[in-house]
Amino acid sequence: MKLATPTYDLKNYSSVYEPREDTFLLLDALELENVYLKNLKPLFALEIGSGSGVIISSLSFIFEEKCLYFATDINPEACLATLNTASLNKCNVEVLNTDLSSGFINGIFDLLIFNPPYVITESEEYYTQAINKSWAGGNQGREVIDKFLRKLPEILSKRGICYLLLLKANDLQDVSNVVGKLGFKSKIILERKIIGEYLFVMKINR
Amino acid sequence: MKLLTHNMLSSKCLKNVNVGYPLSIKVEEMITSVVDFNPEFIARIIPKLEWNALKQAVNEVGKDSCLPNNLIENFENDEDFLKKVHHVLLEIEIVNGCLVCPETGRSFPINNGIPNMLLNEDEV
Ligand SMILES: C[S@@+](CC[C@H](N)C(=O)[O-])C[C@H]1O[C@@H](n2cnc3c(N)ncnc32)[C@H](O)[C@@H]1O
Repeated sequence: MKLATPTYDLKNYSSVYEPREDTFLLLDALELENVYLKNLKPLFALEIGSGSGVIISSLSFIFEEKCLYFATDINPEACLATLNTASLNKCNVEVLNTDLSSGFINGIFDLLIFNPPYVITESEEYYTQAINKSWAGGNQGREVIDKFLRKLPEILSKRGICYLLLLKANDLQDVSNVVGKLGFKSKIILERKIIGEYLFVMKINR
Repeated sequence: MKLLTHNMLSSKCLKNVNVGYPLSIKVEEMITSVVDFNPEFIARIIPKLEWNALKQAVNEVGKDSCLPNNLIENFENDEDFLKKVHHVLLEIEIVNGCLVCPETGRSFPINNGIPNMLLNEDEV
């Protein structure tokens, strides 16, 4: 099945991340996993850092109304953009303005997606303005990623699956070791070299 | 924010809060929308719910009469019951208001349907 890219319009949301290669690589990964995911029948799906909301809306093209969709973003304008994109695509998404998944009770999400801020920057970059939170990853691009990984065991349900976007420079082997210590398996399911960036999608589950 | 989401939120993220569940709801603006009813889907959601928290939420938004006090047996086959749960979970939306931590009274605003669960540094 070819997944259609959801409609979006960000002209009124200037501090929100415009979908680009990393976004599309995650969309391609979901398309690749389409049959697997349909068999998994996730009941609760969460996208952390949903930005425009394109990815969480596209999930509704896979599961239609047989899944409950949730999204969070630390940037309030991204939360509004996500709701707007969801409604343009006639998809019901519940949105929370929060840090990662803070506020949700533990162990509910069967499907989790995160395209984090992954660019290597100074730590302070992240805090300067709202749009910087979409890319500034601090030391090794890993500051938000590592915080997220530590929370994985409490976010995912027992059968939960996570798709995480990473950059080669984030040190894939090390990420894999970190999640391994938390009791998860990981596997690279898709990669793409674009100008200046080498992008990967890691699939993580118990 | 739908009442479904309320069922999944807690203020345990605040330091010194033990359970932080369920949050109480203060409604300023609420709407009711129509969502397609799928009985099998609702029957899959029900075992994942905290029934008491849902009861409390329904009570706080002023729709108390719609649900029984306890989860009924064989709910899978009770279309009437499933419809009621469908309605309270998915069709009632809090547009503006707030969620309040049961232990500390800390309030989390809901604006444009979006709860703000961001914490200040000294709260974590
Ligand atoms: C690379 S962008 C991805 C946006 C969108 N998911 C996409 O793929 O196009 C990263 C997003 O994560 C959000 N974000 C950054 N740090 C976050 C945090 N700690 N909690 C939640 N969201 C965060 C940013 O605001 C931004 O929307």
